[in-house]
Amino acid sequence: MTEEFNLTIKDYVSSFRPTWCPGCGNFSQYRAIRQALVELEIPPEEIVVVSGIGCSSHMPNFLDTYGLQTVHGRGIPVATGIRLANPELTVLVYGGDGDIYGIGGNHFLHACRRNVDIITIVSNNFVYGLTTGQASATTPVGTITRTTPRGSIENPINPVAVALSAGATFVARAFSGDLKHLSWVLKEAIAHRGFAYVDVLSPCITFNRNQTFDYFRDKVFKVEDDNHDIENLHDAIDYANQLSVQDRLPIGIFYQIENKTTYEERDFALNQGVIPAQASLELTDEQIETITKEFY
Amino acid sequence: MKKDITVRFVGSAGDGLVSLGLLFGKILKMHNFNVLGFRSYQSVIRGGYNTYQIRFCLDEVLSVGEDADIIFLLNKHVATLHKPMVNSNAMIIYDSEYIDLDDMDYPQDIIKLPIPLASITKEISNLKVLKNTVGFGSLSYLLGLDDELVKEVILEQFGAKGEKVIETNFQALEMGLKFAEENGWLAIWEKHKYEKARQMIITGNEALALGMLSAGLKFYSGYPMTPATSIVHYLTKHLPRLGMIVKQTEDEIAAVGMAVGAAYCGARAATGTSGGGFSLMTEIIGMAAIEEIPLVVINSQRAGPSTGMATKTEQADLFQIFGASQGEFPKVIIAPGTVQESFEAGIQSLEIAEKYQVVVIVLMDLYLSEHMITVRKLNLKRKNQRFQILTNPEKGFKRYDLATETGVSPRTIPGTKDGMFFTGSSERNEHGTSIASTLAGLPDTLPIREEMVKKRMKKLDFILQELEAPKLEGPKDAKLTIISWGSTVNIVRDARKQLEKEGIEVNHLHIRYVLPFHTEEIETILKNAKKTLIIEQNFTGQMRDYVLMKTGVLIENRLSRWDGEPIVPSQIVGKVKEVLK
Repeated sequence: MTEEFNLTIKDYVSSFRPTWCPGCGNFSQYRAIRQALVELEIPPEEIVVVSGIGCSSHMPNFLDTYGLQTVHGRGIPVATGIRLANPELTVLVYGGDGDIYGIGGNHFLHACRRNVDIITIVSNNFVYGLTTGQASATTPVGTITRTTPRGSIENPINPVAVALSAGATFVARAFSGDLKHLSWVLKEAIAHRGFAYVDVLSPCITFNRNQTFDYFRDKVFKVEDDNHDIENLHDAIDYANQLSVQDRLPIGIFYQIENKTTYEERDFALNQGVIPAQASLELTDEQIETITKEFY
Repeated sequence: MKKDITVRFVGSAGDGLVSLGLLFGKILKMHNFNVLGFRSYQSVIRGGYNTYQIRFCLDEVLSVGEDADIIFLLNKHVATLHKPMVNSNAMIIYDSEYIDLDDMDYPQDIIKLPIPLASITKEISNLKVLKNTVGFGSLSYLLGLDDELVKEVILEQFGAKGEKVIETNFQALEMGLKFAEENGWLAIWEKHKYEKARQMIITGNEALALGMLSAGLKFYSGYPMTPATSIVHYLTKHLPRLGMIVKQTEDEIAAVGMAVGAAYCGARAATGTSGGGFSLMTEIIGMAAIEEIPLVVINSQRAGPSTGMATKTEQADLFQIFGASQGEFPKVIIAPGTVQESFEAGIQSLEIAEKYQVVVIVLMDLYLSEHMITVRKLNLKRKNQRFQILTNPEKGFKRYDLATETGVSPRTIPGTKDGMFFTGSSERNEHGTSIASTLAGLPDTLPIREEMVKKRMKKLDFILQELEAPKLEGPKDAKLTIISWGSTVNIVRDARKQLEKEGIEVNHLHIRYVLPFHTEEIETILKNAKKTLIIEQNFTGQMRDYVLMKTGVLIENRLSRWDGEPIVPSQIVGKVKEVLK
């Protein structure tokens, strides 16, 4: 890029003001995403933010980038299609724990193994917010919600451990209450080559009285301060499993490897530099001959 | 001399029936015959009872034929099972070392053509499948085929497998020919020279794929499901030449989701499945519709409900397609009836989808998808125009501008400077901003909702003008009008030919475009009809009910078949006679 990049985080704000409850953990993510994009100097027209359904999934409404809200849980496949059709774009999936770990869990699993270069950010508040407070896939056992008035009897999923075992090449966890660290993690995730995934601990101040800002603030520590080797999968899984340890909750980049080929690099057309969204719509005579030969 | 021959290969999965059928079809095509081939099979990988029937004639071939003139039995198990299907004057080729037809109580008058396939094959190679080529040689003798043309096709089919394979196949072929000649088999046709053909032999799915490629298909996603999977197989095979993405996904939701993502980016995109997978796709179909993203979805119907009969044909998903996704939105449904129409549907679907930013569903069925037929060379060379894409938008452009005549607002695609917009599965204002959350129900947003629905729906009026209205085939004042849709069209035409020979005149209305619907034209045709009969491969008569709903005309008679096999001309002939009695 020859032009000087002079955009600020305000340039990524749409005319539609956020509709989240005042004090919601999503606000700091809203800011951190823009901060990361500015620091990486990615212009708004080269960004697509894709979401599903839920409080957090309103995010692309509030950003002046290309934004596409899908149906519940389907952000990842739509984002994958976008990225494969035009690998020059930066494609972010943003959603909640209900959206990506619950109804969209299948796509999350396959995105991890597929290693398409998209970024998935999950605003994990351990509850269904927009439908007014039901248990989610990350709700701890015993939690009282509107669908579990006698306490949840299901074990929660450990999404970070799932992502690591499914083969994601960038796995991190961040906390909405630490904007600076969150912005840094998101920036690293966006810059990562391959599928990047960030679980963001993000309190729901209306429907979750357990996982509050204070609750997390007391527990979180940064793996960076532990001299963690981010290429060490075993240590990463150990950190991921510390979710059940009550007094210490690791955040930071658990795992990142850069030397694994991406889907784009393995795909025949993309590896040749084809941009399907911009490719010629006409078949050449040679192509026609090759693809019809078998019918003669 | 008989001008119209039907040959049936009968075997089990694993017997090489598919390659035998394909090879034979190609060879006949090379001899300038019109050929139609259809495999009837089961959902097993090994064993079972399968048939591959091929009909060929000098005239146009319209259906797969009924009674077989020549039957080639590939193993003993199927020889027993096939007995009820054998007509009394059939010639039967079989391996005399494994099958004893005298023991099986076959019809008296059949012509038995035993051949010791196993021993003959053993002389050449240990490869068991070579038996088929030997048998094939004897079949070639019966039909007086041109050895050179036969060898040319074998070379083409197996050339990649190396000289040794070609050599043994040629040997096997010659030994089969020799055996037939030496044992005094009576050839149906004299051997003679044929003019080499320039036709194509192709299935409905392949023609559909070619149509889409010709129209600039750049992204295709799918999850394996019979009978749609062969589209992915075909595209993937040629992937290195095509510069496009073909993506197998984790499920059909992802398949349709990825296609929408790619289309949103400006790539011409499609996805394909059968009824079960289509059920999973329906939510995103509605999303593409409200976001006004071009989308083509292929549904090749098979016998349902649920898993139903995975390898059998049916036309019972019409109402499923109508109801696909909640709410109201413009939906285009094209139901090609022939392989040629499948090719055209491939082009038309992608073009309409982009031009009108709508969802187009191409409704196929297993018979149409899988039967192969000779067609005149399909012309893939096209100049493709782009529709309604802004490359230099003004800042703050309205993605969902209401002030357009056709209801289509020009769009930008990601990467375009100043073209950023938000779109979502919720109702929105002209800029794309959701009016479903904090703005829903506010006095200002009520008219927006009203206008947005109108804007989307009015596209259908303009699309209808682009679709060719149905015409009545046959004599105008015939005593009976037959109505068909989808793959029964040529079977009806075949039946009409037989009826004409008997001096019974009927005419024929084929419905190709289901939505939007040529209500006026169809109503006029039906009101002028003396008697009406609809042919459908379903139990409830879905098209009949739909026609009634749209035109107010009740089609009095119907012929239905839902056992999984395609309707045959004799059924139609019989029904017509019954109706006209």
